[in-house]
Amino acid sequence: MENVIHILFCLTLLYTVVTTRIKSYVSMLVLQGLLIACVMIFPFLKSLSIHILIIPLLTLLVKTILIPRFISRLIVNLDVPRVVETTLQPFNLLLLLVATVILMFIAAQLLSEYAPVPPIPLAAAFSTIITGIYLIIFRTALIIHVIGFLIIENGIFLLGTTVAAEMPTMVELGALLDIFVVVFLMGIAINRVRSTFSQIDVSALERLKD
Amino acid sequence: MNALLFILVLPLLVSGLLFGIYPLRFKYILSLAVSIVHLLVTYLLMLGVLPVPESRWFIFDALSLWILLIVSHVYFWVVLISYEFLQRPAEGRMTLSRRLYFNLLNLYLFSASLAVISNHLGAYWVAVETTTLSLAPLIIFFRSPSSIEAMWKYLFIVSIGLAFAFIGIIFLTLSAYGGSLEGEDLFLTVFTQYGDQLNPVWLKAGFIFLFVGLSTKIGIAPMHPGDVDATSMAPGTVGALMAGSLRAVGLIGVLRIFQIMLHTPTAPFAKTILIIGGCLSLMIAMIFMFKTTSYKRLIAYSSVEHLGLIVIGIGTGGLALIGAMLHLFYNSLVKMALFLSAGLIHSHYQSSEVRAAVNVLNQLPRAGWLFLFSFFGVCAMPPFGLFFSEIRIFLGLIEMQRYILLGAILFFLLFVFIGSGRSVFRMLYSKPTSDIHDRPTEKTHLTHYVIIAILALLVLTGCCLPESVETIIRQIAVIFGDVS
Repeated sequence: MENVIHILFCLTLLYTVVTTRIKSYVSMLVLQGLLIACVMIFPFLKSLSIHILIIPLLTLLVKTILIPRFISRLIVNLDVPRVVETTLQPFNLLLLLVATVILMFIAAQLLSEYAPVPPIPLAAAFSTIITGIYLIIFRTALIIHVIGFLIIENGIFLLGTTVAAEMPTMVELGALLDIFVVVFLMGIAINRVRSTFSQIDVSALERLKD
Repeated sequence: MNALLFILVLPLLVSGLLFGIYPLRFKYILSLAVSIVHLLVTYLLMLGVLPVPESRWFIFDALSLWILLIVSHVYFWVVLISYEFLQRPAEGRMTLSRRLYFNLLNLYLFSASLAVISNHLGAYWVAVETTTLSLAPLIIFFRSPSSIEAMWKYLFIVSIGLAFAFIGIIFLTLSAYGGSLEGEDLFLTVFTQYGDQLNPVWLKAGFIFLFVGLSTKIGIAPMHPGDVDATSMAPGTVGALMAGSLRAVGLIGVLRIFQIMLHTPTAPFAKTILIIGGCLSLMIAMIFMFKTTSYKRLIAYSSVEHLGLIVIGIGTGGLALIGAMLHLFYNSLVKMALFLSAGLIHSHYQSSEVRAAVNVLNQLPRAGWLFLFSFFGVCAMPPFGLFFSEIRIFLGLIEMQRYILLGAILFFLLFVFIGSGRSVFRMLYSKPTSDIHDRPTEKTHLTHYVIIAILALLVLTGCCLPESVETIIRQIAVIFGDVS
């Protein structure tokens, strides 16, 4: 069952790289948050305790409600074009991503022989992290960079929950709060960039270099 | 009395409290009081007068006390001159940044202290992320397009870097699989004790991810651009804080995982990576010293150079490690002096270009001379402390018979000196352009005295190191195993 969720997660990645509509990025973020919360809930099904439930519920709150709503509002306020510009055609990026995912699955299979790690979650998590990096590299709008950062964070959450032993509750809470504040600050920064450069593209940010 | 109350709770409390206080003077006095208490408690902890708090979440060994001292020290000086800095007239200043200035500084003190003394790598990560959040809004203190760009880049690059560091932490957890540590929480003391039971493959992967991720924070190559942009665009005080203490906070994370690896067969691997990173930083710093046209960026690249040297010292071990630890302290002091004097020059010329700041020694004799002396300090001229720590690093390299590495470092340092000297002397001595006739009288601010005090401290601690400092440095060398 957990593996099904991870495969579904990989499918959302494929969709994020082919789409160019800004709204579908946000809906993919919501879907990914939902899937992560599902993965986190599994230990709860085995042993009932309120203590384990706090983190999945908060993750659900932050990742499917707070952050996507904040980004949607940002998109409306900034008047972002509905279709994002790309430097690499979506189809080519899709090919690249498919190749990467296949490579990740093979690598995870090989790695799992050395260490007792479940291969499918490992591959899914790493594919997610790399998808985030691809989005940052091949899309020029700053708002997509924020979404790429969030997708990297999603990948890390996936890696953390399924592969490693869980962190103490305080640490996980702190990490969630930090990520939310980072996105909030990035939103403020994009607002400033817009009001100063009157565009929200990376091409605006080319002053600082030697 | 628990020392944690003063180190962690007080700054956090004051940071929240300051939202309700409006007069800037009160905010300043309160923050200054916090910084003095923090510094005092840190000294007392270091001298062993105050009992060290016992908790499995916090670690108070020689290393964390030493870095805590650096953080506290830098913070004290920066807060001391902040009021005067905020009163200084400036174009396009953000009112919001000014209002939140002391709140964010207190939050920074809390998160930096937490990062330094936390015994859990997850908690360390959260604290380091919070230091980014507390300083990033201060980068856009002057509302210029460049500073907005710098803030965006810093926030983004550091966030991505810390995401990678988190992957490193997860790998570290993975490395415990199959051993007796499986399922244990990531307490450093436990991991260091049973380091030999960790899986070497995952340990190496974890080290690489942590080192590369945290190098956005430490500001060494190849992840230095965000740091260089941010420290050069931020106001002088924030730049001093970032160059002086934030880098040490990032470095302690790398030192901690290095400490875990020391007792495993992976230690040579970690040392090689550290030395490669350091050499790359020195090379990048050398190249950009010739390319850059802004004196603030010049100082930022000098940070890249010195942190690179420190990382090489850590990777070499032995006497070089002792030198590196001292160098960290001296570097934070001299960077403060440089950034503060550059800030004075900047607020007069309203530009950070070398070409715009002409004839500084005649226009601003006091700030100019202080800048010149700080420059001598950063080039490790003899009476200043950096000379003695660099000599120790070089002696350590000779002790380990790494002659080629030593030769490369000396080559890089020579050209760093030539490259930076070219710009600095042009700034200080260039002929005035015809349209500057009147000689503005330079007022002496508190900042001038603070810079003099810092430079004096640099010379004093360089010539005769206090007994307590020497003990603590020796203890750090014992932690890292190979004192000879």
